[in-house]
Amino acid sequence: MPRPVSAAMTTLAPPISTLTERAPIPERVAWRDRVSGPGLVLPAVIITILFSMVPLGYLVIVSLTNKSDFFFANPRYSADNYRLVFDRYWPNVLTTLRLGTLSSVLNLIFGYPFAYILIRKVRYRELVRTLMVFPLFGPLYLAFGLYYVLLPNGPLAGVVDFFGLTATDLLYSEAMTLFGMLLFTFPFMVMNVGAALSNVDPTLEEAALTLGAKPWQVFTRVLFPLSRSGILAGLLMCFGWNIGVFVVPILLGGLPQQRVLSLVLQQKAMSSQLDYGLAAAMGIVLMAIAFFVTWLSLKFSRGALGA
Amino acid sequence: MSAIAAAERPRFRFRRRWIGDALAHAYIWIWLGLFALPFVATLLHSLELPKGGYGLEGYDQALGSFKSNLVTSFKVTGLTIAINLAISVPAAYAFVRHRIPGKGFLLSILNLSLYTPAAVMGLSLLITYAFLFHIPKTTTGLVAAYVVGTYPLMLIPLIVALRDLPSVYEEAARTLGANRFQSLVRVELPLLGPGISAGVLLTFVIVFNEFLVTLFIAGPSNVTAALRVYNLTRTAGFMSSTAALAAIMQLVSFLVVLFFFKFFGSRYLKGTYLI
Repeated sequence: MPRPVSAAMTTLAPPISTLTERAPIPERVAWRDRVSGPGLVLPAVIITILFSMVPLGYLVIVSLTNKSDFFFANPRYSADNYRLVFDRYWPNVLTTLRLGTLSSVLNLIFGYPFAYILIRKVRYRELVRTLMVFPLFGPLYLAFGLYYVLLPNGPLAGVVDFFGLTATDLLYSEAMTLFGMLLFTFPFMVMNVGAALSNVDPTLEEAALTLGAKPWQVFTRVLFPLSRSGILAGLLMCFGWNIGVFVVPILLGGLPQQRVLSLVLQQKAMSSQLDYGLAAAMGIVLMAIAFFVTWLSLKFSRGALGA
Repeated sequence: MSAIAAAERPRFRFRRRWIGDALAHAYIWIWLGLFALPFVATLLHSLELPKGGYGLEGYDQALGSFKSNLVTSFKVTGLTIAINLAISVPAAYAFVRHRIPGKGFLLSILNLSLYTPAAVMGLSLLITYAFLFHIPKTTTGLVAAYVVGTYPLMLIPLIVALRDLPSVYEEAARTLGANRFQSLVRVELPLLGPGISAGVLLTFVIVFNEFLVTLFIAGPSNVTAALRVYNLTRTAGFMSSTAALAAIMQLVSFLVVLFFFKFFGSRYLKGTYLI
């Protein structure tokens, strides 16, 4: 330990004698440069370790304990919880994946034309950007508003009746759950696809058209290949958000949709059952899916900072 | 005959193109309507009176009985923004201006919590606070959770802004006799204004409206307004006072975003959560 201490002392209060004797100025600057960079990042690193990495590590440990002896001094460790997740709760995993996949694909189908029109034809982009902020305030308010809209005597009851449906047909259905998820992640898809499309020169489309391509050929041969990275990034981002869906199935979905992992995990951990081990195992599975998706998207796109 | 056909064809084409454009704009406007629909519906419901008719009673109740929740929300959000700033400004500065071993890897580690689903983060913090740190249901724990979940979103716009800023300003200040701290506070931070406000905006919008992590780790004494909306929809049914609270939350967030767009535009939000 002597070296760092003496170095610290010279930086804090360098006595004249040491300055003249050892001529430490260039060395001192180098030392400061080497230390100050990591030193400035240190608070961020400490916060991340304490409140993100330690909890996730602890989650792994808890996922290996059993409900019956979790509160005892020496719990027994086993993979029973994971066996349960992949056996009895496998339908829940599949529901989560199905809803995530379907809503992401719907996002692409509806979001691609939106982004294309926005980039090529719309002058009032600021207005669009401003209104598109509402979904980003979170799925809670979206689900709350949509629930009210669809109530049997809500404001849209007349429209629903006109199409020969009853409000409860829509309200607790998979279609409505998917619509809620679609609306929440729509801006992410538009953002990713729009960023890719704004880099495509419009003259390329015109050239293809003058050379005799049909409009759909322009899409399959020119637009789609050139915006592939944006499509992929958008799909993965929407999927990553939607596998963590929680409140939309509660308010808009029926029992089959309420089997998503986040919801079951919360019930296991909080409402009276206190089965932390099983909840933790579900959380680990969910997190593994989310990290895999993130890894894919970082691999295929250039990341938020282009690094 | 052929002259008529030749005269009519361009007109027909023109009309077809006009219809296509109209349909395209209609598609955009349908979606704009859908974006605003939940908010408009919430606003409508908040103005309904239980006995029929319209009035501001819901807001009276919301500002009366949910006032403490709103205060908690503002307090917790303000604390998070302050701590985020204190962590992110030095870190962003170091990332851009200093040599750090393993920069890319470190950045992805710091972004770890952005990729964790909210329910998983909530559960992991719930058990960690209860059995490891022994701070269950405290405001400290709540703020720590928000900080770790949102400071990367402040870091990213700051790094973008700092990269855009040429280092000549700092060098000029240093040559003119300012030390590192002085040049940072007097020269660079004012120039970084938009980047810093982008981070503040993102933190505000997310923390102010966050309810899922909060659901896991908040105690009865620090229920935020967003969590209160969730709890009320689960337990008390569908009251107009709940709608009023939800409308207030969205209005405040929307005004903050509008304010930001008006003064700084959306440039520094590129590549982050908002557009």
